[in-house]
Amino acid sequence: MKKEYQTFVRQFKDLKEGRQELFIKDLTPGPQKYDTKQVMAEISSHPEKMTDGDILRIRSESGILLPQVWGIKILKELPESVPGQPWEDVFKAMGKSSGG
Amino acid sequence: MPFQDHRDFIETLKKTGDVIEVTKEVDWDLEAGAISRRVYEMEGPSIWFKKIKDYPEGFTLYNGSQGTWRRVAISLGLPPETPVREIYRIYEERLKKPIDPVIVDEKKAPCKENVLLGNHVDLYRFPAPMIHEGDGGRYIGSWDLVVTKEPETGWTNWGMYRFMIHNKRWLAGWPQPTSQLAHQMKKYYLPRNEPMPAALVIGTDPLAHMVATAPVRLGEDEARVTGSLREKPIELVKCETCDLLVPAHSEIVIEGEIPTDRIVPDGPFGEYPGYRSGTMAEGVGFRVKAITFRNNPILTMIALGVPIDDSSIAASLTAGIAMKMGLKHRGIPVVDVYVPPEGVTHLIFVSVNKGGTQVTQEVLNYFTARRVMVSKVIVLDDDIDVFDSGQVLHAFATKCHPGRGMLVEHYEGRANSLTPCYSPKERARLKGASVAFDATWPPEWPEEVVPVKASFKTIYSKEIQEKVTKNWKSYGFKEGPR
Repeated sequence: MKKEYQTFVRQFKDLKEGRQELFIKDLTPGPQKYDTKQVMAEISSHPEKMTDGDILRIRSESGILLPQVWGIKILKELPESVPGQPWEDVFKAMGKSSGG
Repeated sequence: MPFQDHRDFIETLKKTGDVIEVTKEVDWDLEAGAISRRVYEMEGPSIWFKKIKDYPEGFTLYNGSQGTWRRVAISLGLPPETPVREIYRIYEERLKKPIDPVIVDEKKAPCKENVLLGNHVDLYRFPAPMIHEGDGGRYIGSWDLVVTKEPETGWTNWGMYRFMIHNKRWLAGWPQPTSQLAHQMKKYYLPRNEPMPAALVIGTDPLAHMVATAPVRLGEDEARVTGSLREKPIELVKCETCDLLVPAHSEIVIEGEIPTDRIVPDGPFGEYPGYRSGTMAEGVGFRVKAITFRNNPILTMIALGVPIDDSSIAASLTAGIAMKMGLKHRGIPVVDVYVPPEGVTHLIFVSVNKGGTQVTQEVLNYFTARRVMVSKVIVLDDDIDVFDSGQVLHAFATKCHPGRGMLVEHYEGRANSLTPCYSPKERARLKGASVAFDATWPPEWPEEVVPVKASFKTIYSKEIQEKVTKNWKSYGFKEGPR
C-alpha cells in the first residue's frame, strides 16, 4: 500500500522533476495526519514509472490542488527546520525592490 | 461580574441560547471547520464539539465565541440585544480606566492542572482542527493570543497570530512582518541572535482574545486593557519555562521560543479578509518546551472566512475605537468611526464635523503612517450615521466627486500582505495603496449653494414635520412614524 504525502509550491510551474529537498506532510489518517518532515526525495510527474515510490499530492500557494498526482521516493530525512531568520523572504524582496 | 474563563462564558451562552452542543462525533479533519463555517454563514450560534474523532473524551473544540454582536455584548456583560453603537460607546468608555493584572500562585491557576515538559511535549495530544480544505496545516492557534515581551522595557504584547502544528514539538506561524511581535523580534532578539520566549494561549477570558486583535499602541500591555473591559483585574500566572505571564484560567498554554536562526514553512491559510490568498511563507518557527492545560481542555477555534465571524466583529470594535482615538489624537475633527464587519478592516467609515479635501488627506495620512491594514476610507459629514451602511452608501454615491474626491497614497514595506487584490509581487514586498473617498461637502462652498438633502427631516420645516407626525394616524397609517 503506497503512502500519501502532500507538498506546497508557489506555482505549479515551479515543480521540477528529480532529486530535491522539500517539506512534505504525511496524509496517513489518524491523530498525526499532516505531520511535516523535511526530506531529500526523488519526485516524478510519472508516478506509474516510480514503482517503489509513494504518492505526492501538490498544492499551490493558494491551496489549490494539482489534479495530477506525482510520485515520491524519500531518500533521506533532513532536519525539521531550515536555517534562516523570521520574515527574511519579505525583507529580501523589499531589499530587491528598493535596489538595496 | 466579568467572566473568569471561557467555561463561565459558555455557561451563560447556554442560558441565552447562543451556543449549541454537538454530541455526535465530529472529525477534526475538515468536518468541524465546515460545520462552523456554515453556521457563521447562517448567523447561527457558537458551537461546542463534545466528541472529536481520534481523541479521548473531554478533549473538545469550541468555535465562534464572539461571532455575533449578541455574543460580543454578552462577553462585555451587557444585554444580548445591546445596539452596536452602544457597544462601541461602552467599550470606548471602559478603555479610559486601565486596570493592572494580578499575579496568582500556580496553585490557583487552573491552566496548571496538567503539565507536559521535555520529551512529554506532544502537540498531537490536542484535537487541533484542519479548518479549511487546502490549508497548510492544522491551526491549533486560530482564536488564540500569543504572549511575548521586550526584555529591557518589560512591555508585554498580546497578539492574535495564527500558528499551525509543524510536528510534535514545533509550531509554524506567520505574525505579519509589520506586527508588534515582529517589532519586538526585530528590535531586541534578532540583533542579539537570541530566541524570543513566547506563549500561545488558547481559550481564556473571551475579552482577552478580543483585546489581542486590537491595534493598541506600542508599549501598551493588553493585560491592562483587558482589565479595563472586564472592570476587574485579569489573573496571570508565570510560565513553567520562562518569565512570561499568561492568563491563569486559560484552557491550554503552549510555551516555547521563536528562534532567530531557524525557520519552518507556514500556510497557506484561509484568512480574515475572507480568502486564502497566497499567504504561504517562510514562517516563524515556534519550538515548544512545555504545554500546560486544564482537565478536559476546550480548544477554541475560528473557522475564518467571509464575514461575519468572530474576527470581523472583534476587529470592527477594537480597531474602530483605536482609530477614533488615533484620529482625535492627530487633531482631526472626527465624530464617529465605524468598521463594518463586512469590510474586514479594509473599509472604514469616518464622520467628521468639518470635511473637505484637506481633512480627508489628513485622515488618509493617519491610516498610512505606519503599518497599513486599511485600504479604503470613506470620509463623511457628521449628519451621516456611520453605523447605517445605507446612509453611507447614499452619501458616497452622491457626494464623492469621481475626480477630485479620491485621494490615493502608495507605499512599500508596510502594506497588508493579506489584502487579496494585491499581486503576488506586491504581497511579497508589502507594497500597496490606500484610497480615501471624500464624501463631504467642500467647506469653501457658500452655504446657499450646498445641495439640500431631500429627506423628511432636512427638506421640510419643523412646523410641517410636527404637523405630519402629529396627524400621522389620522391619515390612516397604523404605525407611528419611525
